[in-house]
Amino acid sequence: MAEYSVLTRPLIEGKKLAQVTEDVCAPLERRAGPLWWGAFLASSAVMLAGAAAVAYQVTMGVGVWGLNTTVGWAFDITNFVFWIGIGHAGTLISAILFLLRQRWRTSVNRAAEAMTLIAVMCAGLFPVIHLGRPWLAYWIFPYPNQRGPLWINFRSPLAWDAFAISTYFIISATFWYVGLLPDLATARDRAQPGLRKKLLALASLGWSGSYKTWQRHETVYLLLAGLATPLVVSVHTIVSWDFATALVPGWHATIFPPYFVAGAIFSGLAMVITLMIIARKLMRLEDYITLRHIDVMARLVLTTGSLVGLAYLTEFFTAFYSGNPYEEFVFANRAMGPYAWAYWTMAACNVAVPQLFWFRRVRASLPAVFTISILVNVGMWFERFVIIVTSLHRDFLPANWAMYTPTVIEVATLAGTFGLFFTLFLLFCRLLPVIAIAEVKGVLSYGNREGKR
Amino acid sequence: MERDWNVEKAGPDRRGFLKAAGFSFGILGLAGCRTAPVERAMGFVEHPPGVTPGKSYYYATTCTACTAGCGVLAKVRDGRPIKLEGNPGHPVSRGGLCAVGQASILGLYDSLRLKQPHIGGQAAGWERVDAELGARLEAIRKSGGAVRFLSRTVTSPTLRAAIARFLDGFADGRQVIYDPLSCSAIADAHERTHGVRAIPRYRFERAAVIASFDADFLGTWISPVEFTAGYSRARLPESGHPAWHAQFEGRMSLTGTKADLRVPTSYGELEARMREAAAGEGETGRRLRAARGRGLVVCGAQDVELQMLANRMNQELGNYGNTLDIERPSFQKQGRDADLERLMGELEAGKVAALFVYGVNPAYDFPSAPLAKAGMLVSFAERLDETARLAHYCCPDHHVLESWGDAEPVAGVVSLVQPVIRPLGTTRAAMESLALWSGTPRTVQEALRERYGQTQEAWEQALAAGYIERETPVERAAYREPAQSQPLQGDGGSLEETGFELALYAKPAMLDGSPAYNPWLHELPDPVTKVSWDNYACLAPAAAAKLGVADGDVVRVACGNEAVELPALVQPGQHERVVAVALGYGSRLSSRFAGVGPRWIGSRATVGENGLVGRNAAALLRLAGGALRYTRGGATLTRTGRQIELACTQDHHRLTVPEKLGAHPPRPIVQETGTPVPEHHAPERDLWPDDHPKRGHYWGMAIDLNACTGCSACVIACQVENNIPVVGRDEVRRKRAMHWIRIDRYYAGPQENPRVAHQPMMCQQCGNAPCETVCPVLATVHSSEGLNQQVYNRCVGTRYCANNCPYKARRFNWFEYAREDRLANMVMNPDVTVRSRGVMEKCTFCVQRIQEARIEARRKGVPLADGDIQPACQQSCPAGAIVFGDLNDPESRVSRLVRGGRAYRVLEELNVRPAVAYLKIARGGEDQRHG
Repeated sequence: MAEYSVLTRPLIEGKKLAQVTEDVCAPLERRAGPLWWGAFLASSAVMLAGAAAVAYQVTMGVGVWGLNTTVGWAFDITNFVFWIGIGHAGTLISAILFLLRQRWRTSVNRAAEAMTLIAVMCAGLFPVIHLGRPWLAYWIFPYPNQRGPLWINFRSPLAWDAFAISTYFIISATFWYVGLLPDLATARDRAQPGLRKKLLALASLGWSGSYKTWQRHETVYLLLAGLATPLVVSVHTIVSWDFATALVPGWHATIFPPYFVAGAIFSGLAMVITLMIIARKLMRLEDYITLRHIDVMARLVLTTGSLVGLAYLTEFFTAFYSGNPYEEFVFANRAMGPYAWAYWTMAACNVAVPQLFWFRRVRASLPAVFTISILVNVGMWFERFVIIVTSLHRDFLPANWAMYTPTVIEVATLAGTFGLFFTLFLLFCRLLPVIAIAEVKGVLSYGNREGKR
Repeated sequence: MERDWNVEKAGPDRRGFLKAAGFSFGILGLAGCRTAPVERAMGFVEHPPGVTPGKSYYYATTCTACTAGCGVLAKVRDGRPIKLEGNPGHPVSRGGLCAVGQASILGLYDSLRLKQPHIGGQAAGWERVDAELGARLEAIRKSGGAVRFLSRTVTSPTLRAAIARFLDGFADGRQVIYDPLSCSAIADAHERTHGVRAIPRYRFERAAVIASFDADFLGTWISPVEFTAGYSRARLPESGHPAWHAQFEGRMSLTGTKADLRVPTSYGELEARMREAAAGEGETGRRLRAARGRGLVVCGAQDVELQMLANRMNQELGNYGNTLDIERPSFQKQGRDADLERLMGELEAGKVAALFVYGVNPAYDFPSAPLAKAGMLVSFAERLDETARLAHYCCPDHHVLESWGDAEPVAGVVSLVQPVIRPLGTTRAAMESLALWSGTPRTVQEALRERYGQTQEAWEQALAAGYIERETPVERAAYREPAQSQPLQGDGGSLEETGFELALYAKPAMLDGSPAYNPWLHELPDPVTKVSWDNYACLAPAAAAKLGVADGDVVRVACGNEAVELPALVQPGQHERVVAVALGYGSRLSSRFAGVGPRWIGSRATVGENGLVGRNAAALLRLAGGALRYTRGGATLTRTGRQIELACTQDHHRLTVPEKLGAHPPRPIVQETGTPVPEHHAPERDLWPDDHPKRGHYWGMAIDLNACTGCSACVIACQVENNIPVVGRDEVRRKRAMHWIRIDRYYAGPQENPRVAHQPMMCQQCGNAPCETVCPVLATVHSSEGLNQQVYNRCVGTRYCANNCPYKARRFNWFEYAREDRLANMVMNPDVTVRSRGVMEKCTFCVQRIQEARIEARRKGVPLADGDIQPACQQSCPAGAIVFGDLNDPESRVSRLVRGGRAYRVLEELNVRPAVAYLKIARGGEDQRHG
């Protein structure tokens, strides 16, 4: 454990160690309240609607989406990139901020990592269902097969995607699980004998709480944090290559990797804020997820949002400076063409709105922060829509120009992934400790018994 | 060279092979007629003589989809005709075949074709029909009642003789000929100026200056394939003196899109324009005078006065005998509208005891025709069309591929028809029915042998070639100044000054509506408007703005007491006073398309509210003053407030970007050059070593944009060859048409009269193919011969390749497209995989044809020669605009074209290295790019 300056204001005040355990574990041990049930039923209903839409689409064919010969991707890949982006904040908070010794992360890292895993699951759905023949999705992996000497195309960014995302999911899940071990053991120790206790005992891998266990745990955790750190950068870089390596004007841009990473963290942090504001209310964790946490994350949103804004400007400058008429046109068309409304929604939500976080009063107002965090994710969804659809719908040959309009099936699928996301997140809140008990105990105000600064 | 003598010694060449094939089938056909149908399909136990299973044989026959009489080769595979191709040696069509001809093979396998005779709508046997009909005819014979044989142009001399013999048996028997797309005014005018009622044979290939007054001769007028072949030959820029073409027309026709000078002219102004040109005024007049004897004036108006004026112009310019031949005339349009007018009067008066209808659908063409007043109505229709529904007796004729026959489209050329399959139903040739009812039963082939078969050898040779050229007695016809003509009576042709002028026209794919049963032709986008599955009211942009209507707003087009409600379509280049409506739609034959296309919760029906495709505008057609009138004045347009979204394959029409998005130079996608064309083209050099050198063949293509008229024959040829599904109106509207080759149409210049370019676009078989790198499962790969190959069963359907294709040449199977009609499936090419749902597909350069030619060459032990391989699009192209070949052979035609001064590649700057080169448009001396 690191030393803390007595001059720093503790992150969490007025809590004792035992009380932390009680506060975090108690909600798992009592029956769920009506608020949780309401939220759970609503989100699982939406999820089922989405599942029906996906089932219909897989049965009938991709034609039930609004795609056409010119616009071959739209909602599907927009949603995919959106959800992958959401996941990034979790890894950033759990890995990079851990390495940077940002202790405030302890209150939110567990939930943020859970969010990452769930978001990657939502994202992973789309590369499968967007296929014309989704039952053959496994052909994208290089494994020894009976189809002759044929392997995958290692030059295809989609193949890189498959590696990047599966790696990301595995590392994130491991990291999350390793961090969860001491808390699972705590829950096990508190549980009444029965099935729940047995399952927790199994899941906590015989955690003994000995000095040696803790030492090994901390080593593994540090190593995994180191392993996860490059993924924050690599995954969205590779996702951006889906576009950057193509020759479609509006896609073919070297700025895409940093631009996508910044955007991903931006949207992910906004989603963490959204979820944390809900969770602290729902799980009565106001003492752990404090306004200070919200404030710090709001500042990060402001930073990344400004980076994204810079990227937008750079794109326009590059297009203007390139002298490439197709490139110039794509950007003129984005800002003034038939999808200008989507572009300006994106610009307003991603660049203009987060600037409000310069004001302390805005950062301190929960309703304001909550609204902005949602607007940011609306904007980030539109960013991907704008990149994909406005680039494709008017490319080189004007004879091919076409419009894209989503069908009800696509809208239901998008809604369904939100249903899936919230359903899984609510289950996580009910079944596992939302706050890393062991870690948060490190930032309590003990050693400062009088509560002095 | 070694190759040359190799070829000489290698046995029969392709022509010889075809001849032999035609001969052997002819014998088979003669020997195999009228035997009991085979009950069960069984594999060949013994090798059938002369036929190798799995090998294609070609038999020469004649297309009868319209009356132009183009020569075709029917490709037969294992006893089943699967494709029609232009007959390269044919003196009329010269190897081309139009979209309608290409698509007509689907009619053979039409499960809704009448398979047996019907009496009063009930299926019956021929014995009963013959007995009943014979009795009724006998009664008419005795009573001396009037018998009328109403037909379209009959180019078959044998059938004409049979009809005449049949009608001779009656005291008052007469044949009445009309063409739904009539040219009778031309014949009437020649009757008065030359003393012969005939349509001259137009020889566009000999013309240096072409002045067309509302004649859509490349699209639908008389003989478009023949004219396109001649026109493109005359217009070859490399000749040094390409023919100059002026078009005066009210709507934007296919022909107008190719003109050097196009003058939007209302139909009322047409005469003034003609007189101006006749007086040698204006550019057209000057150029016509300068090219004495090599000019050609054609007029499409159904107005004898204007036609006589055209005749006088051609006479004064010395064009008769050079660019048009009245002494060896065309028989492709024999209609005499005055006869039809008289027949209508007779029918109205109830004077017709028996009406026989052959090859036309008068109940559709004239919805108010009093056909029911005929004492007896007999139809020979192949399908239950409007007339056949009224008929007392339906005596269905064979499909042309099941029939023997002949055609004499132009004087001196007889094109033969031979069957390539045994009739699928118990239909009977109309000629045999007539012979039977005349009391002199005789088979068609007997009649043919009698007429043409002097010797067995000559007959076999003629069958193998598909045509006979023979000297016909020249009809001496000299021009004489006609007597002062009397002006037309009543509402003859006057175009009132008020309101709109209505122009009824035909689309190149739907013609008069006779192919309305054909889904391929409905789905084919119109070459000019790019709309499929509908007809509509074309309006000039200014007129549309004045009325406040946009594309798809339903307007009521009223003329006199008749009106039709149609969606509007804004057509650049149209005269402001003209509203143009296509005929041929709203046919009962199109009710079958109610179920076409994938059905899911978001899908919309292919047919309209009337249960049909489009609306029949024939009610607005007038038969007056001895001519069918396609134009009339005093039309009014009113908005209805309803909307119909048109199924248009192309939203954006220009190569410049929308104005509000800033000033950009036009995209260099369609390029133009001046004449004479520069001779050299800088060879493309690359600093990088070629990482995948193509040492053997390197397949490439050259497409001459100057020759391409946009007629879309290639699109249908490709559809037949490559088993391309029909997706229906809703899917086309969603921009999911499946055609592997499409024709992009671009406008340049002012909206009032833009220049137009047609650009066939298909997979460019890029050397650096952007689709290949992005496919994660290696479903699209490069061959050592430069082909970009799509492996269907490897494809999982990510659509990344299509997104990354700068030409958007790839097509995705969004649904499992219906292939339930097992009879229609017989037309499928067994050499081409039928693609399932969820996979990507695209043009393959007809790889199956490459392989077939290669196997054939290997079998013969000779190298592949230039021209051995023709993809379906090239084979069909009437203009010869598409040339395929080996780019590694410096002497191949394609190599020479690619090295020529007009060659360029679309989006060359992307360095995707397309294997398709386009040849620039060389238009009337200007040097401009399309913008």
